[in-house]
Amino acid sequence: MAVIETRNVVKRYETGGETLEALKGIDFAVEPGEFVSIMGPSGSGKTTLLNLLGLLDDPSEGQVLLDGEDVTGLSDREQTTARKRTIGFVFQNFYLIPTLTAKENVEIPGLFDRDPTLEDRSVDLLTRMGLGERLDHKPDELSGGQKQRVAIARSLVNEPRVVLADEPTGNLDRETGRQILSEFVSVTERDVAVIAVTHDELVNDYVDRTVRLVDGLMGEDAPTARGAARAAKRDAGEEGADPVDEEVAEAVEDALAGDEDTTADGEDALTGDEETASDREEGDES
Amino acid sequence: MGWFYRRMPSLLMARRNLTRTKVRSVLAALGIVIGVIAIASLGMFGLTLRYSITESLGDIGNQVLVTPGEDSDGEITERQLREIQVAVGSDGTTVPQKTRVTTVSYGGGGGGARGGGGSQRRVVTGMDNPSLLYEAREGEIPQPFRSGALIGPQLAEERDLGVGDAISVNGSSKRVVAVLRGGQGFGFASPTTDIILPNRDFQTRGYSQVLVTAESSTAANETAVAIRQGLNGRRELVQVQDFSSVAESIGQTFQALNLFLIGIGSISLLVAGVSILNVMLMSTVERRQEIGVLRAVGFQKFDVLKIMLSEAVLLGVIGGVAGVVFSLVAGMVINHFIVGDAFLVFRPSNFLYIGLAFGFGVGTSLLSGLYPAWKAANERPVEALRS
Repeated sequence: MAVIETRNVVKRYETGGETLEALKGIDFAVEPGEFVSIMGPSGSGKTTLLNLLGLLDDPSEGQVLLDGEDVTGLSDREQTTARKRTIGFVFQNFYLIPTLTAKENVEIPGLFDRDPTLEDRSVDLLTRMGLGERLDHKPDELSGGQKQRVAIARSLVNEPRVVLADEPTGNLDRETGRQILSEFVSVTERDVAVIAVTHDELVNDYVDRTVRLVDGLMGEDAPTARGAARAAKRDAGEEGADPVDEEVAEAVEDALAGDEDTTADGEDALTGDEETASDREEGDES
Repeated sequence: MGWFYRRMPSLLMARRNLTRTKVRSVLAALGIVIGVIAIASLGMFGLTLRYSITESLGDIGNQVLVTPGEDSDGEITERQLREIQVAVGSDGTTVPQKTRVTTVSYGGGGGGARGGGGSQRRVVTGMDNPSLLYEAREGEIPQPFRSGALIGPQLAEERDLGVGDAISVNGSSKRVVAVLRGGQGFGFASPTTDIILPNRDFQTRGYSQVLVTAESSTAANETAVAIRQGLNGRRELVQVQDFSSVAESIGQTFQALNLFLIGIGSISLLVAGVSILNVMLMSTVERRQEIGVLRAVGFQKFDVLKIMLSEAVLLGVIGGVAGVVFSLVAGMVINHFIVGDAFLVFRPSNFLYIGLAFGFGVGTSLLSGLYPAWKAANERPVEALRS
């Protein structure tokens, strides 16, 4: 069953008497352990969709389902509780609290819970992210990549089912971006779904599938090479899948790493692609 | 400390946030410091003033004056006097007095070369134990008082009289044995222009008034009631006046003065409150995204409210503590100069004002923090995270 799902979701904004339709009916579902990217030009409604998935905003029409449960129209308190239990957030600007240490930042989501295991969990997460030596460092003593790892650890501390990432590599250089994306891949290996909204084509080297949004409509839903490999393997049978998975993933990763330049150069071509996609959508509607 | 913050995570966040903008926090707390000092030290100042004035007023409140009532023969009899003495008991003193209007001439008789001379019709008072009421400025009050005359200080000055001079009362010459000390409060016994003779110089048998001095103003009040009950049945034989109501109204005047001073102090706290409001509002605007993140990761509105309010209260407590310390120093200075004893600042009633000032300081901070905290808590995370 999909861990998070939208059914014919529409979002409208009222601006100065004008109604702007940011999302025009989106059906979208993510399975546990899936790594999905949502791509699209500015103003295509990516962030709006992410906000709806993250229960930060309510859709004007349609439903959002979390673990099969309709969470549309919940009160602020209920939404906050659901968010805390099920969803982790990672932001482009990291948004760490500058006055708190790395460890305290990771503990933030459970700060008011008086949970005795919280500290161990956060230390464990940071250690796994390779930040075991930097537990007591403040954010301004950490590099961009380290900050984003702290943010990922924070998103995972409550053991969510879904991690929503808004431009997770947006403020990172390419190499650090790769490291962060492989962190996300290892997150999905723990059956946590990751949904990343991004402009960065690099992300597509790591995700299972890419969803394109154009003018509030969902475009093609393209499984990536990696995703196809994983899907094939999944079909081949659950048992003993993991080692193969690892191997395949690594192989794909290596292959993609070599392609880096090509991907970067291909950006202009991509924009062209998207326009075609949008044309096609409009054609479908009429 | 770690344990403490684990218990109070919002305080930890608040403390870290305040240290983030140190100068701004210090300035905001300074407002509270000034406000607390203003209230506490003005309150203590009023209290000290009251203390020093009641000290110099003396025993104003604890005197009771008994005079003949409407239904009497115009005097207080020996029997009534004894009843009054019973009502007063052993803790108070009773001074029966006689008065008469008669002709007094100064510098007349003997060889009184000095003095202005001349004679006037005036009241002279008779009593047997004036030493219970008065002190002598010059000479000595004889005990018991059997001969001679005592005069008030103003009269002595006006008529240029001193110990040993003679005055003539109703034709008979009296030697001045003492000039009384004035300014001993303004109760019934203020001897500014009095002439006091022994009772035996008066022909009448009854007394024209009895002055009772009790231990305190409450005791005076009780004595007055007891005398009224004991002596006045259906007929009003004696009239009893006591000063406890006057003492009370003087006390009330000072209470009002104190309130006024504290009111002035409160204005400075109001200003401090506005400055905290401003600092907190700036802080919520600056930390908008941070608060958005907190809400996104599962902080309820109430949690955010708690963090922001802790910040405001922490500012208030820091400012309040500093203010209390400074006020104690200021209070010591005030007490040193007005009463002459710096350590009188540790009177319990002073702590009332200090506690009041501290409470007002923290309360002001809390109130000023409410709006910014409410604003921060109610910001929609989507809006806050939009950069």
